[in-house]
Parts: sequence; structure tokens; C-alpha cells
Amino acid sequence: MGAGLDGTGVVNTLYVLDVPENIAVPKVAAEDPAVTVGRLGPYFVISADQPIVIDRRAVGARHAVWYSCVAGVAPGSAITKHDKDALRVEPA
Amino acid sequence: MSELDHRVRGVDHVAFPTFDPAATVHFYRDVLGFPVVHSICAAGWGPEQHPDFIHFFFDIGNDDRIAFFYYFGTDPSVGGPRGAKGDVYGRFAADVPEYFVRSRHLAIHVDGEEDLLEYRRRLDASDWPVEMQIQHETIESIYTHDPNGYFFEITRALRPVTPQEDLDAGLTIDALLDVVSGPDPTFGKLLARKAELIVERAAGWAPASTGPAS
Repeated sequence: MGAGLDGTGVVNTLYVLDVPENIAVPKVAAEDPAVTVGRLGPYFVISADQPIVIDRRAVGARHAVWYSCVAGVAPGSAITKHDKDALRVEPA
Repeated sequence: MSELDHRVRGVDHVAFPTFDPAATVHFYRDVLGFPVVHSICAAGWGPEQHPDFIHFFFDIGNDDRIAFFYYFGTDPSVGGPRGAKGDVYGRFAADVPEYFVRSRHLAIHVDGEEDLLEYRRRLDASDWPVEMQIQHETIESIYTHDPNGYFFEITRALRPVTPQEDLDAGLTIDALLDVVSGPDPTFGKLLARKAELIVERAAGWAPASTGPAS
């Protein structure tokens, strides 16, 4: 993956395990029209060709769930923010 | 992915020293209601000038047991200088982070919220009230410190563990072992390696029985 610094033209992908606590994560992510949510086995695959930003309050997850909801981040992308406000994944 | 058959049957006992058997019995037997189920009264012997001791056991359910050693003629100094943090066994300086001090602990299982709250009531009526009640990822726990300073947890599952969590745990461990075998392991490297393993293995995964669909 050729990671452009501005994130354009690069597919960012993160994986979220399908368990009840995590259901709102892909739902909120999908509200951004640039984001696609697919499936790979029991994982949600959340992708976009721009930075993916998921708002914690919109997800409504308690802290323990919020800070453990990411199962994987595809090589080439990285989490650049994961705090009480938001999760942000963009080119590494 | 072990091929070995799994023959063990839970905790026989976990053992700790105590220098305050009266408070320990009061906490476990009288406050929590854990029956005393076994004890050994032993004269010290052997090359190390072992003190005479009492080894006593409380049932923690499921026939599992928590046990204590009381050594006659000793006090906490046998374990070294008093620590600013920790318990009568593990002593730590003031600057040791709390997450590390609390990392080693015993959590006892209950079946549901009603039972968790019953133990909360028993502790709150005692000299060792509940210090925290926390919903973690998939469990809810109450915490206190026992009379010996041991960090003590009672926990319930918020829901059954799903089959896909077993898959995910296996991928996590494989990714972790890969990452710690290389230089400078980080959480970011683990998530990247785990993503590769998800791509390799998740598509072919199927729950053994009827897993939750979505």
C-alpha cells in the first residue's frame, strides 16, 4: 500500500470482532459515506480511502469496551488517535 | 491450537501467607461466608528451620480453595522491609505504578448480578467495603483488599463467551508471539500482525455450533 501522507488514494482498513459490545462501532463508522463496512468471517472490515474517524459518544461504548474494540489494523494504516473522543485510523 | 487433551479441573488451591489469621478468618469465613474446609497443623522441620505452621483452607466454590499459611513466631518482617505499596507478600516502593501492583490478583466467579450484589452487601457491611465496582469488556467485578492487603475480586460474566472470541484470542496470541519475538514490540505492531492473521484465517472460520449472526 502506497501510503500518501494526506491519506488520499489509500485504503485504510481496521477489523472489529462481531460481539454484542462492538455492534455500534461499524454502525457509526458506516454513517460516513466514504466508509464501507464488510465482513471477513466473524470480523467487521471497516475501510475507507481516507482517514476513518469514529466518534466514541456516538458509539456509546463504556470505556473498557471502547479501548479494546479494535481487533486489527491493516499494515500501512495505523491508529493515530484512540481516546475518549474518537478513534482515528489513517495511513501509517 | 493444542493437540494435547485437556485434563485439568480448575483450581485445587491457591496459597498465601498471613500474619493476621484472626482477621483472615473473619474476612473469608464470617464476612464472605466461605466455609473452612481443611487445615493442617504442622510442626516445623527440615534444614531451613521452618517454623511451626497452620495451613488452612476456605472453599471458594466448585470445590476450589483459597489457602493460607500462618507461621508461628513470625511477623511481616520475615518477607523483608515494609513496602509503600503492596501486601504482606509483595512489597513495592511508592513509585511502582498501581497497574503493576494490582496486576497479580485472584478473581472469584459468581453466576450473576444477584450473587455479585449479595457479596457486595456482605463486604460493605464489614471492615473491608467494596472499593470499586466496574463493568469491564465482558465481566463485571467488585474489588476490595483483604486483611493481608491482597487485592480481591469477585466477578460475573455479563454474557457467555462467544465462539468468535476464541478465534480472536488465538489470533491475538499468535500475533503477540510474533511481535515479541521481534524488536521493540508495540500495540500498533500487534494490531498490524493480527490484521494479517485475520485475512489469513478468518474467512475460513466457522463456529462449531450456531454462533450469533448479525
